[in-house]
Amino acid sequence: MRKPTVVLGLGNPLMADDGIGVDLVGRLGQEADCYPAVDFIDAGVGGMSVLHMIEGRRKAILIDSAHMGEAPGTLRRFTPDQVRIAKILAHQSLHEADLLRVLTLAEQLGQAPETMVIFGIQPQVVEPRQGLSGLLLDRIDHYLREIRSELEKSAG
Amino acid sequence: MAKTVNVNVHHVTRVEGHGNIVVNATDGKVEKVEWQVPEAPRFFEAMVRGRSYEDIQTIVSRICGICSITHSLASTKAVENAMGIRVSEQADKVRILMHYSEQLQSHVLHVGYLVSPDLFGLPSVVPLAAKAPEVVMAVIRLHRLANEWSDLIAGRTTHPVTLTPGGLTKFPTEKELRELQERLKNSVADLKAVAEAVLSVAGNIPDFTRETEYIALKQDNPPTYTFYHGDITSTDYDGAVSIHDWQSVANEYMNDQSTAKWTKWHRESYTVGALARFNNNAELLSPLAKDVAKMLGLAKGCCNPFMNSVAQIVECVHVVETSIGMIDELLTAGVKPETVKVSPKAGKASGCVEAPRGILFHQYEFDRKGNCVGADICIPTNQNHAAIQQDFEKFVPEILDEGEDAVRLKLEMLVRSYDPCISCSTHMLNVQFVR
Repeated sequence: MRKPTVVLGLGNPLMADDGIGVDLVGRLGQEADCYPAVDFIDAGVGGMSVLHMIEGRRKAILIDSAHMGEAPGTLRRFTPDQVRIAKILAHQSLHEADLLRVLTLAEQLGQAPETMVIFGIQPQVVEPRQGLSGLLLDRIDHYLREIRSELEKSAG
Repeated sequence: MAKTVNVNVHHVTRVEGHGNIVVNATDGKVEKVEWQVPEAPRFFEAMVRGRSYEDIQTIVSRICGICSITHSLASTKAVENAMGIRVSEQADKVRILMHYSEQLQSHVLHVGYLVSPDLFGLPSVVPLAAKAPEVVMAVIRLHRLANEWSDLIAGRTTHPVTLTPGGLTKFPTEKELRELQERLKNSVADLKAVAEAVLSVAGNIPDFTRETEYIALKQDNPPTYTFYHGDITSTDYDGAVSIHDWQSVANEYMNDQSTAKWTKWHRESYTVGALARFNNNAELLSPLAKDVAKMLGLAKGCCNPFMNSVAQIVECVHVVETSIGMIDELLTAGVKPETVKVSPKAGKASGCVEAPRGILFHQYEFDRKGNCVGADICIPTNQNHAAIQQDFEKFVPEILDEGEDAVRLKLEMLVRSYDPCISCSTHMLNVQFVR
């Protein structure tokens, strides 16, 4: 049975700060006992598979690194309708994916959760190496507090 | 009619690197036709150096979100070959089942979400969902089945966690296998629906042929339409080359057009992927897959690269039908628990499997403690770059009279048909706030 809320961590931990979503969902997953109605999933760079991870849920919380024009390390909470896509897709391969387009398709198919919240974190470093930048590491507790607060809203 | 055509499809500003298409023709004379590839994920080879043999699979599974099982399997096989580790028949079968789930997952995504909009004359799957909802829903059901199949066997939809040198850390229960088998049987109707939908628009598949060398795995004992075991063969070669000698097949070389390495064997280029497997092994397909190939007009020897997507549909049917039989075999034998104990040792070897988009080679060298001291990965997309370039050179003069927009669209469709994996190491959001 699917739990009503899902938290997805997106990104690649081999690309420095691109892995922030995966890092955070891993940490939150360790507190899963506190959230019996929540699934925590490391979605990696799964692209279109997100469609199936959010299907049948009441709420989806997505954590991803995001270019938002903010200072590195900034976390912003937003919903899909608050932003527009600034990325150009070539449609050449499956190996490009845009989370917002996947969410649009989910809505069109009637498979989107009632509530979809994105936590975007502006990266400082995106390059081939493991481990987050010091800047993001220093702010991990702040990010976790914000997401926990969102989870408590869902429970309430 | 003489035409002047300038096509410059550039994606260099994108976060995710992609290939560029350049065509310059003046008064019907083609001056420049290039497939330019600005990057390749070679840096993973550096990332695994110094890491334990136990960590390799976890790292390389992140090379790609679509072919993560395939990279994991290739690397795990290479580790096992380097250290002389044997795998049980049961683990081998379950790994093949795992691999099949990714073939279905990837092919369904490619045909359903990327190629179908071209065939239906639409810009993306989003408007297709409005125009042909029943087809898109069949695709989505198949994709969901493939994802849940991966979840069951690999432990997750992407980036598998059950694979380990020597076997698997977890096996599905007999009950889970029976349930999966039932779902696979029920999915045949959706597979047929997708095949029929493609047949209904098959007239929009461009009619283009270029004599091509196709390279794929070949397994004789027992004869199998293989994705996992066997040696390397080609449509230009009667024999087979050991996977450990893959460098003598790939013959990688640098090209000014690209920072990715290109490859060639008996000709100036070769092609890998579903059509390559079909052209080398079609007689070994499952009965229903053969029927679907016939229905869609795909016959051995086909040299139309656009038919790769049709071969992918045929392979979807094959992996589903074959898996139903493999689950019977596993259930008859009974699923038994296994424990794996590995002692690391020095060695160097390769592992090879068929990724959904073609043959994939991994090679590693380990010191006596099992730490990696060298790696060499050759991905299928790099092996197709030279073929895409040669297709462009033959195709552009044939379609030049159709005008700039048609040339651009058809070349983009051609690239898509190869199902390339150019860069999926990051999928970062890039947004502007509007509210």
